[in-house]
Amino acid sequence: MENDILNTIWSSQNDKAIIDPKTVIGKAKKQRRRQYWSVLIMSLTVIILIGYTIFVSPKHWNNFTLGLLLMISSLVFRIVLELTTIHLKESKLISLDSKSYKNYLKKHYELRLWVHYVITPICLATYIYGFYLLLPYFKREFSEGFYLYCLISGFGSITVIIGIIIYSIRKELRFLDKLKHH
Amino acid sequence: MIKEEDFTALYHTHAPKIRRLCMGYASGNQDLANEWLQETFIKVWNHRKSFKGRASVDTWIYRIAVNTCLSDLRKAKKNIPINEAILKDNESDDEIQKQESRLKKMYNCIDQLTEQNKTLILLELEDVPQTTIAETVGLAHGTLRTRLSRIRKSLLKCITNGE
Repeated sequence: MENDILNTIWSSQNDKAIIDPKTVIGKAKKQRRRQYWSVLIMSLTVIILIGYTIFVSPKHWNNFTLGLLLMISSLVFRIVLELTTIHLKESKLISLDSKSYKNYLKKHYELRLWVHYVITPICLATYIYGFYLLLPYFKREFSEGFYLYCLISGFGSITVIIGIIIYSIRKELRFLDKLKHH
Repeated sequence: MIKEEDFTALYHTHAPKIRRLCMGYASGNQDLANEWLQETFIKVWNHRKSFKGRASVDTWIYRIAVNTCLSDLRKAKKNIPINEAILKDNESDDEIQKQESRLKKMYNCIDQLTEQNKTLILLELEDVPQTTIAETVGLAHGTLRTRLSRIRKSLLKCITNGE
């Protein structure tokens, strides 16, 4: 009788608004294509960067090359770390039972906090220092107006990145707290 | 490996159940539930080659669905008005209103359960076999039976008392 009441209420929901499986397959394929393209573009960037460092920069090594290298490598390192984490999380999601997955998530977000508080600030500081090294060259090569534009857009984008980091730390902290208390 | 026709058959069998499971996790938020349903089956399709058949395909799909709902960082908004479109067609408006109110109460009561208890009762309400539930959640079958009976009682008490 008790079971009947719960089941009756639950089964009063309908099955409308469920999309076609072909649409799901289409979205899945699109998502995979986007992932492959991102990896391809990232890999090409890294290959060009390594190629540039090996063949060109030893002859013309200066602060401009160093600055550029610091900026791109810190960004590439952080993106590769992020992609690896996402890939690992997804592989656990599809293979673990929910109890083990919840335990994994707790460890995952604790590790993420370490990444947010240690790795990300180091990457950010390296990026900012790299940008700082480029500024004298920008000032010398560009007009005053364009130099000002570089300054504003450069520091503006850094401020936006810091904002995004703070937002994601707060979101993940809230989620970790929820995981620990349920 | 799961082929396209197998996927379509699996989708037709499991999508309605998984959508309701996600509705329970999303406290009745249809948009979020539909998003989680889609994410679940996108993952099923993308990882179909990695399905080794150690567990049954049903267990594998339920694990993905539960873990997808569990790992979403967004907080489901509380007290979402229940849209009457989610109810089965009925003859009278009174009956629709009564069902809406009972369903809303049920979502609120389910929302008060711990994550694991929520998973257990949502799968049980979908008539998923207890062995599949045990494998999905990672609990021993004996523990599961006792736990389910307790959850059912507390859920019923919550719904009838309106707590």
